[in-house]
Amino acid sequence: MSFEKVAFEKDSSKALKNKKLRKALVNVTDRFRAARLRASSQVEDWNELRASAREIKKGTIENLDKYLLMLEESVKRAGGKVHWAKDAAEACDIIVGIAREGEVSSVVKSKSMATEEIELNSAFEKNGIKVVETDLGEYIIQLAGEHPSHIIAPAIHKTKDDISELFSEKLGIPHYDEPEELTKVARERLRSEFLNAGMGVSGANFAVAETGTIVIVENEGNARLTTTVPKIHVALVGIEKLLPRYEDLSLFLTLLARSATGQKSSTYVSFITGPRRETDTDGPEEFHLVLLDNGRSGILASEKTRESLYCIRCGACLNICPVYRQVGGHSYGWVYSGPIGAIINPQLMGIDKAPELPFASSLCGACRGVCPVKIDFPKVLLDLRKQVVDKEGKSNRVGWHLFEMLGIKLWRLTVESKSLYEAANKIAYYLQTPWKKGKGNLDSLPYPFSRWTNERDFPQVAKEPFRKRWKKIKRELG
Amino acid sequence: MEKNKTGVRVSSLYIMSNQSREEILHGIRKGLSTVKDPAQLLTDGRDFSKESKEVIENLSNMQDKLVEQFLAEVENVNTTVTRSQNSKKLIQSIAKLTKEKQVKSFAIWDTPYLKELGLKEKLKEEGLKLTTVKNKNRLAKADIGITEVDYAIADTGTLVLLTDKEQPRGVSLLPPIHLAIVRPENIVGNIRELFILLKDRIDTSGDIKSCMTFITGPSRTADIELNLTLGVHGPKELFVILTNP
Repeated sequence: MSFEKVAFEKDSSKALKNKKLRKALVNVTDRFRAARLRASSQVEDWNELRASAREIKKGTIENLDKYLLMLEESVKRAGGKVHWAKDAAEACDIIVGIAREGEVSSVVKSKSMATEEIELNSAFEKNGIKVVETDLGEYIIQLAGEHPSHIIAPAIHKTKDDISELFSEKLGIPHYDEPEELTKVARERLRSEFLNAGMGVSGANFAVAETGTIVIVENEGNARLTTTVPKIHVALVGIEKLLPRYEDLSLFLTLLARSATGQKSSTYVSFITGPRRETDTDGPEEFHLVLLDNGRSGILASEKTRESLYCIRCGACLNICPVYRQVGGHSYGWVYSGPIGAIINPQLMGIDKAPELPFASSLCGACRGVCPVKIDFPKVLLDLRKQVVDKEGKSNRVGWHLFEMLGIKLWRLTVESKSLYEAANKIAYYLQTPWKKGKGNLDSLPYPFSRWTNERDFPQVAKEPFRKRWKKIKRELG
Repeated sequence: MEKNKTGVRVSSLYIMSNQSREEILHGIRKGLSTVKDPAQLLTDGRDFSKESKEVIENLSNMQDKLVEQFLAEVENVNTTVTRSQNSKKLIQSIAKLTKEKQVKSFAIWDTPYLKELGLKEKLKEEGLKLTTVKNKNRLAKADIGITEVDYAIADTGTLVLLTDKEQPRGVSLLPPIHLAIVRPENIVGNIRELFILLKDRIDTSGDIKSCMTFITGPSRTADIELNLTLGVHGPKELFVILTNP
């Protein structure tokens, strides 16, 4: 994904005007949220499981170097090759190099955010190697020349009619109206791609240090085909995807499918350890694991934001986020979107390239509430905001900062004193009179409060504080 | 010559990757040096041989309940289940299925149990053509793939298939219909129990298979306007036959 700088404000304003997109977003996020809630409530000790998963991830990340060496050893023992890539360009060089060495002219790919991150497709194309996305959503996106908008449902911004039109134009087929027909066309086209491809590229949901096993979770079966049919299998895996022990998978798989799509189990889970054995009848002859850093090791140094690396990419934070639900994935300007995008994009890209993203949140903490590894999103966002402000404060907007600081000092003074607070409430109650309209909210206040009311309403200041009214309410309730 | 050139390029890539290995590890260690109280390395200290014996004993006491749970969960994921009382009935129901689905060719795993049943021969007698599992293009043209699962998980309705010489991956993947035979003694309660058994199996045999696959229902997608569509890449239909203990 080529970009100079994330333009969240500009792109999200554009997205907000796209009614079709907003409807699709509400549909997909509502569906996934309801399913997640149902599936997680069926697990008795759900919150204990989340806490254990967090502990395991914390232990893994804090010993990442040791576990990576353990993983390398295990993969080699199983007959696989391990490559280390410090950035996107190097990862592309390694994977294109493997293809060249294997004299591969066409490659099939299953869904992988890491390959999006390194722009692998364009690297293949530049080197004259054909590459085909095989996840149905990704196939649609590739045909349209676009980028995924949701981590689990990449083509969710496209309607059935868009896809029908796209298939007709790009594949030279008649218009089909039914999803079944469109899916059938994709199956036939992609099946022949699988059978003819010399190499399959996948990502991984987990990599187990102890056994060298990589785990891929999916519903379609394209990842199974990608890792079974071609002669060479390459898995590109971010260094944070590690789990220490084989049996840790039972916990993480329990959490992942339920958090992502609300399924008890995804349709297919593949556990791949090395290439085919000599006695095996099928499976790839070569297995390559490419470990990708690309900015991840840089996140480790910060105590406050290190936990960003615990993420298992389930997408639950996207579905619950009041911001993502309105603006969609493309507003986040890079591979990852929603709350996880807001914290991981600035850290992987460099905060200078995405200074708006830590502010693309209301800090409501709903993401923290659903995260299967309990990432404290608001805490990380606040730290990133501080980093942005510290940098900006030195350069421009000095006047605004002084004004803001004064305001906050005044606020603090007021809320720390009972009498001042009560007096301020009274004053505010009378001051608001010119902007009051009946019993509704305040919907247009003068500057600087207009910065709030331009986009949102503000509740009226009540005549009596809740503390006083509560006595009466309590009596009424008995 | 061309190939030689490629070879040189690749080996320089390996050197580059080696340098990067050091740089990445160095970067990680530098970053982690700020961790105040690093967590202990997670090692087992668990006795999986003992745990697996307990699991197995527990499972055999609960088999009826687990069978019921498994059947209910499997039906929840667009899968058709049949129970067969004996091997004769088992073969009859497979023959019935192949007729209904107008199956002309089949691919099959050669597990000891399926061999004992003589299923391959019986299906040939029914006039079905046996497809070789060795050629992917031919296997993709088979009408049905028949497997016998290594384990099944009751609380998610999941089939667990291990890859082996007689158990190629493609049989449950390439043909449009997958028929899985499940024996009740291979049903576990949940994924946690399964991993205890697997871990014990790996510890004892020293052998982790090149591939293990969990299958829960037929291939599905919801990528077009969230419409559930079956058979996008893998089998469109999944049938499970549960044998009698």
